[in-house]
Amino acid sequence: MSESTANHTFAFYLGCIAPNRYPGCESASIKGLKKLGIDLVPLKGASCCPAPGAFGSIDLNVFYAMAARNLVLAEQMKMDIALLCNGCYKSIWEVNHKLKHNQDLRDGVNEVLKEIDMEYKGTINVYHIAELLYNDKFVGVSKVKDSVVSPLTGARIAVHYGCHLTKPHKDREFEKEIMLNTEHPTWMEELVAALGATPVEYRNKMQCCGAGGGVRGYDIVHSLDITNEKLINLKEAKVDALTDICPFCQLQFDRGQIEIKEKFGVSYDLPVLHFAELLGLAQGMSPQDLGLDLHAISCEPFLQKVL
Amino acid sequence: MARTKGYPEALEKKLHDQRYYREDSSPDFTKRVEGISRTIAHMCFQCGTCTGSCPSAPRSTYRIRKFMRRAVLGLENEALTDPDLWLCTTCYSCTDRCPRDIAPTDVIMAMRNMAFTHDIVPVNFLKTVTAIYSSGHGVPNNDVNRAARERLGLTRDPPTTHMYPEYMPGIRKILDHYHLKANADRIIKEREG
Repeated sequence: MSESTANHTFAFYLGCIAPNRYPGCESASIKGLKKLGIDLVPLKGASCCPAPGAFGSIDLNVFYAMAARNLVLAEQMKMDIALLCNGCYKSIWEVNHKLKHNQDLRDGVNEVLKEIDMEYKGTINVYHIAELLYNDKFVGVSKVKDSVVSPLTGARIAVHYGCHLTKPHKDREFEKEIMLNTEHPTWMEELVAALGATPVEYRNKMQCCGAGGGVRGYDIVHSLDITNEKLINLKEAKVDALTDICPFCQLQFDRGQIEIKEKFGVSYDLPVLHFAELLGLAQGMSPQDLGLDLHAISCEPFLQKVL
Repeated sequence: MARTKGYPEALEKKLHDQRYYREDSSPDFTKRVEGISRTIAHMCFQCGTCTGSCPSAPRSTYRIRKFMRRAVLGLENEALTDPDLWLCTTCYSCTDRCPRDIAPTDVIMAMRNMAFTHDIVPVNFLKTVTAIYSSGHGVPNNDVNRAARERLGLTRDPPTTHMYPEYMPGIRKILDHYHLKANADRIIKEREG
């Protein structure tokens, strides 16, 4: 498929871990979505979402105000937000939703924002790029498939959905109903198959990575033990790689494997790639262009299989 | 509690279990938890779906159902001083599955908020605050990453507060409005000297 002219433009909210630890996620998102008719423009001056575990635990009012500041930056650009991290989705989407529907929260936030000459108006929407890719109103699976020039044929890839994009489903408002299935979703597997790879199911797929809620910082062994359980289940399914849609989950699975080796003496050497990185590979970007060398666990065995 | 409102007097008396409150229970704890969490904690009927869904439960003594009961019984001290309060990964599986449409995860978050007002908080949470106060990011950039970004055709610093530090005073104003940085510094100093 030839490059179509961009017909959707979003303010690209980066968060912290993607731009500062896995920049390949950022560049692959911008370049990959551009090929699919979506322009991602910088959201200047954005800060941490803020981290829902850390900030939400300490003071929810600060959490609302900080997230609202990021939302106002996009409101000023008159653009909807696109983002690539489940944690950011939890903060930015959920606070936007809460402020739109609770006047008392909105008044509280605006009282603080007034001090910095800002006002939350509730004029924009927030999307995760996985949602943009899956929803044919924006892109859709078949268009993703058409953009593939280097199919990931033969690779067995498992999906880690993470928690904060779809849970709790009762509060979410996805246009695609399948995205509200949090017990056994398969929409990400459709996207993986569109890249030419073989999606693989594994035990307890929807379990948390273990990093969230401040637990990674509070009790690293407890946190890694949760990750380890997932890795055991993934190993059982004989997968070549794990794909995620959340850089924090990615950090937990990728760097976590090094920590698990140190603390538990077990190694898995399972490559972990953000779906944007997979998309980049399938669209013909080189591993160097994607910064895959920055991953703690080498992606080489997987790359040899697909390139 | 308004739970027996509207019942005949005899039934109300019967339902008003004298063991419902202990000496150390504070009746308005439930209301405060519900106010912050915006969820109907008192509707919990203790089925245990939450604990059964919890990734932290199998590897610790953390029982979300127990915290739900403490919320309903007003056991403020017991809830806020239990170190297990900080083992919730906020995966929202319990909230996703709760048959009473309660959000136990948000009850935990409310209790953590209340614990913080008593200076009960693990230091790592505060360090995220101080990182954001200084750079706007919980996980800031570094030189290895700057070089990598350049190689990938990206700006050395992302177009966030990193590239536009002129946005930092606004962020600090928000955090200072809630005295968050001052409190974080004070608690970190008390713990770590």
